[in-house]
Amino acid sequence: MARLNILCIESSFLLREGLKTLLGQMGKPFSMEECDVAVDDLVKVLRKAKPQLVIANPDMLTAIGAFPREMPECDHRIFYTGLVNEQTADKAKARFDFLLPVHADKLSLSRRLEEILTAIFGKTADSETGTLSERELSILKHIALGLTNSDIGEQLFISPHTVMTHRKNITRKLGIKTVSGLTVYAILNKLIKVEELQVSDRHEAQL
Amino acid sequence: MLINKEMKMADVIHLNHHLLPIINRFGIQLGFGERTVQEVCKDYAVNLDFFLEIVNTFHDPSYFPLRHLRSFAPGMLIDYLQKTHLYYLKIKLPEIAQYIRQLTTNTDMDPNHVQLLQDFFTSYESELSAHINREEQRVYPYIRTLEKALQTGAVMTDYPASEAYTIHHYEEEHDDVESKLFDLKNIIIKYLPSPVESRLFNIILHELFELEKDLNNHAHIEDLILVPMVEKMEKELIKAKSNQ
Repeated sequence: MARLNILCIESSFLLREGLKTLLGQMGKPFSMEECDVAVDDLVKVLRKAKPQLVIANPDMLTAIGAFPREMPECDHRIFYTGLVNEQTADKAKARFDFLLPVHADKLSLSRRLEEILTAIFGKTADSETGTLSERELSILKHIALGLTNSDIGEQLFISPHTVMTHRKNITRKLGIKTVSGLTVYAILNKLIKVEELQVSDRHEAQL
Repeated sequence: MLINKEMKMADVIHLNHHLLPIINRFGIQLGFGERTVQEVCKDYAVNLDFFLEIVNTFHDPSYFPLRHLRSFAPGMLIDYLQKTHLYYLKIKLPEIAQYIRQLTTNTDMDPNHVQLLQDFFTSYESELSAHINREEQRVYPYIRTLEKALQTGAVMTDYPASEAYTIHHYEEEHDDVESKLFDLKNIIIKYLPSPVESRLFNIILHELFELEKDLNNHAHIEDLILVPMVEKMEKELIKAKSNQ
């Protein structure tokens, strides 16, 4: 199961700790990057933390224009949850995908978080089971043999960009990020043979 | 709970035994008796404040007294970081490699699988070593030169006009080595068929988790203390130069 990366922008230590406790009870592995001062360069912070979910106090993001949902550095969409109270203006609320009322009781907070996590991960339910599609298996095989994105694209008649998207999905499903890790997976699951690999290594050495 | 100078060193270990390798890095060994942190540090001639910051940063990842830790001399910090490098290269990596080698004597494991694991670990080992060597040979000497230049008031003539190594180059490098360790753990947890007698597997996995925790702390200290410290020195030097 992929780990959920959260970026929390909130000055209150107690609130941050409380969020961690609640999230810890959701049964989904997560890590939380914490930021306790107002942010004026959100992109820089996002680049570093690469979160799927930002949980923020609206007052600490007043210097920010639009919230970036997509970033070249991230292979996923970024969702925003606002920590709101009775005083939060509607205009500030409208910028977020989800809202978490800080004064709600534990049960409703847990339910709200559950809804948020399902909304983020629900659509990619199959990615949690780790089953690869036929196309992904075939691409994985090519990656393991040491082919580049454009090589693979040419052989399978798809664009290198599409190959990249498949690669990201494979990495997310398997929990393996590096080419050598994917190669080990491919051998263990008999997608390729060690001998094939040596042949392609030799081929590479000749080039 | 934070660790303070009045605590007994023995209680520190009871509180968090993962700190033991960190404490060893300062040259401090077990057998503390009833002595406090302060007393033990004095016996081993270890800077007490620096010791406390390092163990607390490890003990509680959310603890980050930036202002305080940045006030230490860069040289002291580098000495500590170099000791952790030695610990990885001379102790931890050989130890894990040794455990993986022991798997070869396990008869109910496919020798090809052991070979795969061994090869993967070897390539991880060499990548981590290469990264460490880069730091030792380029980054740390560069920082020591900066420190010296600031102390003596000497102007570094080749800085920053030449394409000298600036600290920004270095921030980016951490990622790939981390990914490999991440993969290694998942391969063992999810994909490699475990032998019936899984004791060795468990030990290897446990060691990888410990190593990861230590490396994260190391990177944490480098990114959040060392880099800002050096950026500050770089700025001061540029200022000194433009004042000339």
